[in-house]
This record gives sequence, C-alpha cells and structure tokens, in this order.
Amino acid sequence: MAPEGTAHALPGALEPGVDPHYGHVLPLIDGNKSYAQVTEEVFSTTERRPPLRWWLAFAAAFAMLLLGVWAVSQTIRLGIGTWGLNRTVGWAFDITNFVFWVGIGHAGTLISAILFLFRQQWRTSINRAAEAMTIFAVMCAATFPIIHMGRPWLAFWPLPYPNDRGPLWVNFKSPLLWDVFAISTYFTISLTFWYIGLVPDLATMRDRARTRVRKAVFSILSLGWNGSNRTWSRYETVYMLLAGLSTPLVVSVHTIVSMDFATSVIPGWHATIFPPYFVVGAVFSGFAMVLTLMIIARKVMGLEDYITARHLEAMTKVIIATGMIVGMAYATEFFIAWYSGNPFEKYVFLNRALGPYQWAYWSMVACNVLSPQFFWFKKVRTTPWMIFVLSIFVNIGMWFERFVIIVTSLHRDYLPSSWALYRPTFIEVATFIGSFGLFFTCFLVFTRLLPVIAASEVKGVLKHGQH
Amino acid sequence: MASTEFLHGTRLRAAFDSPEGILAAVRALRAEGHRVLDTYTPFPVHGMDEAMELRPSRLPRACLGFGLLGLALAVALQVWTSAFDYPLRVGGKPLAAIPAFIPVTFELTVLLAGLGVVASLFVVAGLRPRFRVPDLHPGANDDRFVLACEVLAGSNPEDVATRLEGMGATGVALLVDDRLARADSFWERKAGPGIYLLAALPAAAVLGLLALLNRDYHFRNLSWDGGMGAQVSAASFDASGVLPGGTVLQPPPRGTVPRDGLAPLGFGPGKEEAARAGRELQNPFQPTQANFNRGRQVYERACAACHGKDGDNNAPIVTERKAFSPSILVSKKVVDQPDGYLFHVATFGGPEKMRGLGDLIGREDRWKVVLYLRELQKAAAPRPPSPPAAPPAAPAPGAKP
Repeated sequence: MAPEGTAHALPGALEPGVDPHYGHVLPLIDGNKSYAQVTEEVFSTTERRPPLRWWLAFAAAFAMLLLGVWAVSQTIRLGIGTWGLNRTVGWAFDITNFVFWVGIGHAGTLISAILFLFRQQWRTSINRAAEAMTIFAVMCAATFPIIHMGRPWLAFWPLPYPNDRGPLWVNFKSPLLWDVFAISTYFTISLTFWYIGLVPDLATMRDRARTRVRKAVFSILSLGWNGSNRTWSRYETVYMLLAGLSTPLVVSVHTIVSMDFATSVIPGWHATIFPPYFVVGAVFSGFAMVLTLMIIARKVMGLEDYITARHLEAMTKVIIATGMIVGMAYATEFFIAWYSGNPFEKYVFLNRALGPYQWAYWSMVACNVLSPQFFWFKKVRTTPWMIFVLSIFVNIGMWFERFVIIVTSLHRDYLPSSWALYRPTFIEVATFIGSFGLFFTCFLVFTRLLPVIAASEVKGVLKHGQH
Repeated sequence: MASTEFLHGTRLRAAFDSPEGILAAVRALRAEGHRVLDTYTPFPVHGMDEAMELRPSRLPRACLGFGLLGLALAVALQVWTSAFDYPLRVGGKPLAAIPAFIPVTFELTVLLAGLGVVASLFVVAGLRPRFRVPDLHPGANDDRFVLACEVLAGSNPEDVATRLEGMGATGVALLVDDRLARADSFWERKAGPGIYLLAALPAAAVLGLLALLNRDYHFRNLSWDGGMGAQVSAASFDASGVLPGGTVLQPPPRGTVPRDGLAPLGFGPGKEEAARAGRELQNPFQPTQANFNRGRQVYERACAACHGKDGDNNAPIVTERKAFSPSILVSKKVVDQPDGYLFHVATFGGPEKMRGLGDLIGREDRWKVVLYLRELQKAAAPRPPSPPAAPPAAPAPGAKP
C-alpha cells in the first residue's frame, strides 16, 4: 500500500556524474519482474516442502527452545531461587532480557508505521518480516516478567477485572502496571496491523490453494477478499490510520518501559533522559536485529532481488544515526552525574566505568558507539557480510546496555552494607537462550507458512522508477 | 444519475494487465455514460478512487469515535477504581492522580481506536470468513486488473466490448451475477425466524438452569480461584469443625520436650498429682512489682477470657453465651488451695473442663499468674472492718484498676 503521490525513497535526483548504480535511482525491486513473477516467487515458498537447510535451522532453534522450556519449568517448579538474584539485585537477567526483546520489536513497528507515514517506499520488501519479528519479540519479552512473578498461573492478576478479592483493584499509579497495558496494547495492535497487511496476500494464497485444507484455512483468514477497489479504498484509509496510531504507540511503549526505572529513586535510574534514550536505543537494536534476520533470510530463501543492497544500506544509515544518539546519551548521563553534584549519582557512573562490571560497560561502549562508525564507509554499508557482523555487535552491545543500566545501578546504591554482586545461574542463561529459541522457531515457521514479502505492496512499487 | 436505468442493463467484465490500462478504460467508460460497478486489482491503483468518483471513506470518524470511547472508559475505570471503589493512597499522591493515569489512558485510547476501526472496516466492507467469495475474478489477486461495468441502456454491449478490447482488455465477457447462484450457500443465506429460535434455545437453557438450580444467594457462585473472599468465616468461640473435640488449640503430642531448658516438672496430670503438687511445690517468685505486672499480663491474656478480668467469671463467654461456668477464682474454695495446686491446674487442667495450659504459658509465667491471682483474691476478699482513717476502697498493694 504505497501512499500515492510519493516521492522517491531517498531525496535528490539523478545528477550528471552521479554513479548510476548507487542511490535512489535504482529500482526498489531488482530483476525487472512481472506481477505474475512476483506472485510466483513470493508464494511458492509457502507451497513447497522446506529445504534441508531450513530443517537444520529449525532443529537448532527448536533445541534452544526446548532448553528454555526446561529452564522455565525449573523456575516455576522450584521458584525464583534458581536465579542468581539477591536482596540487592532483584532485577537482572530477566528484566534485561525483557527490555532487550521489547526493543528488538520496535524496529518492526517503525518500519511498518513510521516509514509508511514518511512514504519511504523501500519499506515494502521488509515490513512483513519486520512486523512478524515485532510480534515474536514481544512474545519473548512478555515471558520474562511473567516468569519473574514466581506464580505465573496468577499472571492475570494485573488485569483490572471485577474479582472476588475485595474487589481489589490494581494500582493505576504504578509504572509496572502501565507496562502491562503498554505491552499488551502494543502486542494487540501490532498483531492487528500485521494481519490487516496480510489479508490481500492471504486471498492470493486462497486462490492458489490446491488442497481442501489450505483452501478452507485461507478462505477463513482472507475474509472474502476479492481486490475490489471500494474495499481497497477503505482498506488504505484504515491502514493509514493504524500506522498513525502505531507511531505514538511505539514511542509510548518504550517510554513506559523506561519509566519502570526512571520513576524510582535508584541512582543511575532516576533520570529524565530515560524515555528518549530508551526509545532511540530500541530503534537502534531493532534495526540491528532486522538486518541480522534479513541478511540470513534473503540468502537462505533467495530473496536478493526483493531485499536489495539498497534496503540494507538504508537500514545501516538508521543504525549509524541512532547509534550516535545512543552514544550521546551515554555521555550526557556522565555529564549530568557530575553536574548534579549528587554523590550517589556520581558514584554509580564511576562504578559503571571502573567497578566490578566495567567489562560489561566497555563492551557496551565498544559495540554500540564504536562499531557503527564503520558504516561511514560505503563499502561496509553495501557488503552484506560486513553488515551482518556489525549488526551482531550492535545486538550484543544493546543487550549489555540494558544489563549495565539495571545491574550496575542496583548492585551498589545508597547503603554500602547492602552492596552485592550478581552473577547469572545456568537456569537464567538457559532461559535467555530459550527465548532466542522461541523467537527463531516462530520466525522459521512463519517463513514457511506465510509470505515473507508483502506481495501486494511490492507489486505496487514494482514499476517504481520506470515511469 | 438515474440508477434505475441500469437495473436490467447488460453487465460486462474486462481484464487488463496494467494499472494504467484499467484506469484509462474506467475513465473512458464513465465518459460515455456507462456505469463502472467496481474494479478488482492485485494492489490499489492510484487515481482509481477519483476516476470512479468514490467518496472519501468515513472510517476516520469511526476511528475517532472509538478512540474517544477508549479514552472515556480508561478515565472512568481508573478514577472509579482508584478514588471510589478502592481508595488507596499511594506515595502521598491524590486518589485520582490524573498525571499518573495518562499512560494507561493513552494505551486504551489507541487500543480501542485501532480495534474499533478495523472492526468497522470488516463490517462496512463486508469482510468476514467466506467459503464462496462474491465477485471473485480470476487473477484479480495475482496480475489481472479486472473491471465490472453495466452498459448504458440503449447502447450495444458488443460495441462496448469491442471498444474495451481496443483499449487492451483481454477476456471481455458477459458478467453473470453470481449472487443468484450463491443463494443456496449456507453462509450467505438470509437468517429466517428459525435462526432466532436456534439462538434463543441456549439462552432459555441457561435461564432455566438458573431458575431450577437451588442456589444459595448468600454465597458467590462464580469464583476464579476459590479465594479468601468466599470462605466461610467462624464466629469467635465457635466449635472447630476441623479438629477432634471441637477445640481449636490442640495439646502437643505426648513426649514433647519444652524448649525453655528447665528440668522436667516431675508431675503428671490427675487429682492425686495436683494434691501432691499442692504439698510439695512452693512459688519460687517473690511478690515484687515486676513479677506482679507480668502475672497480670499473662492472666489477662490467657485466663481472663473465661475466668473474668477480676477472677469473678465476669467474661462474655460465661455471662452471655453461658457456654460453661468455670471455677470462680476469688471464691473461698480456690483461695484455700495451696499455690502448688493452682500451678498444677494451670499446667495440666482443672478437675472439670479446664484444659491444661502448660504448653502455652511458660513455667515461670504460670507461677507469676499464681502470684497475681493471690493479689486478685486479696482485693476481692470481704474487707475486715477498717479504722476510719484508712481510705475506704484502698486497692491491694500494687493492684491497679
């Protein structure tokens, strides 16, 4: 659904002397395809049996998922005592992973909603997969607070429903409750947005279906879609409205996540910079994860014509911009710690850089601030394997960022007698690995069941640059 | 435009292979007065809404309406629960702390606006699971751009078809309204009165069950977890329905060793042992103020519930519930018993109903209770005629009202 009257994806016109193989003048989709060819290439993957390499990847992901299921079952059976938490460091791996996964999810919404509103047509090849990534990442994220509750079978208690405990209502003044509403709304709206985007493609799958089961399933899912222009007209209106709703939503979600920390009085958390700092960090880490996934997916599934070097390059530019904002935030935190004159605040930041967790702090700085600087080189921006390596570094760095914020702020705050160190147990590490297992299992299943490329959107931009 | 004119007109279908082709055809047909019913395309063709003169969708209003509904519901829910139904002060903030309600209000506004507008789209555009899709043209979801039109009455459909072919249309054909053929589909059939009857049956069944079931409306029938709100609560002094004998406190198992580190008492229960205790035991504590205070504290906690605060059985369980009548501790019968006997009764229980409290009250405290009891008895004893100089109601030494 490319909005009409669009400009080219990147500003500027072809000037004499400009490299014609570089920049916006390249078509969005390579290979000079016909509409039927797009249909065939996008949908045939969902109709074939998966190749061996898919099975190998699925086996690895599923093994990780099983490890995670074992770890979570141990946590539920024996309690949170299986984790390395203590009285001082009551949040560590679990909340780190929660914030990490929520942040990963945000790039999907950014690509599907914000780039849509900005009429960046290059998003069409990657938005479907990026939105799927959002949904699976939010699923991974939600796992952690729920198992941290200790009694996950009572996880519905934060919902405000008339109950027979009084009724005892939830505390609407608590950021943790805001989190419940933010994450569940985000998940619901992302799922709706994703599904709405899928409906025209599901109709194509219904029309192509050869078996009765496929026909029935896609008849139900595609809602009787027939491509009517009257429906398209309303559909585009709704798609635009959902994009408009999702854009502030995605900002609100990570703002609220940051308020879990910022509204407390822990030095290192109690900072007004947190909401924008977290939102930018989320975009940064999310785009890194999109790049990691897309570089694998285009190679494994042969989608190089759809996810072109141009898409990858545009995303690396987002990475370098957000990476520098994140670096700026790190510097600002230190400056404010000094400028505030608050000895606890000062200590926390010196302790971050020079204390027992300095290895985590400097890993974070190296991965998040230094590694994106390589993207200044065009050679790096257009070489998939280099982008892949750097995107992995950013993923690692952003995980460390959340670990540093959470653990180094907690482990030494006001009362030196309460200072403690935290180290994760095997169960916690296994749970984290398991969340990757869940994510990749879901993603791999998605790549075989549903079209990874939004075919109806790609067809709309296929002749882009040809007329 | 008079639409009746078209009611029995001939309908044509034409497929094109490019968005530009269909757009030009739609413009040309409309210019000639033919009616374009709809176009069916694999992606939205821009400019088609204008060419077909479609009104802009009013769905944004639905979105706004649902958003405002979400906003109102969120504010109402938060203010009502936080300030009225369960007023709980948190962090010294006002009960209805509007700034703290902004995040949840925002989320619910977005949630309802988003879900509401999508539901509105489904209703308005007739999108619902269908096993037979109306107006489904081959290739319209793949690479064909199909238009359906109704030929202006009086013009020759074959001329129009030829003209469409001239504009690049392939597969021009007469369009049969397949709505007639679809009439027998279960999913498309109009609901008759039978369907309402069918829907009424479960409702009637539920109502009937509700009426027939012998419900006790004093108790909640719906419980998520059998929580604390729904449990049967016991009144004070009720007999326990759980433990044998109806008592709530149970004696410790036989052979239980006290943890106070004292030597074994050397006495067992029974009347003979009580008499022996009366002969052999002496109160090891002197009537000091501290011992007296401790004795009074323990007495009022452990003994006064039955024996009354002043040892005169003035306790609700005796005077109001008339459950039993304990010995009156300030009576002559008790006054005459030696300290050791009273200590034994406190430990192992009395000759009648009293249960031994040796497992509940420490050995030293039992002796101090005896000490206090003696003071109570002195205070209650009929006073010998006193010299007029003495104050008329002098309390016993140390005793306080």
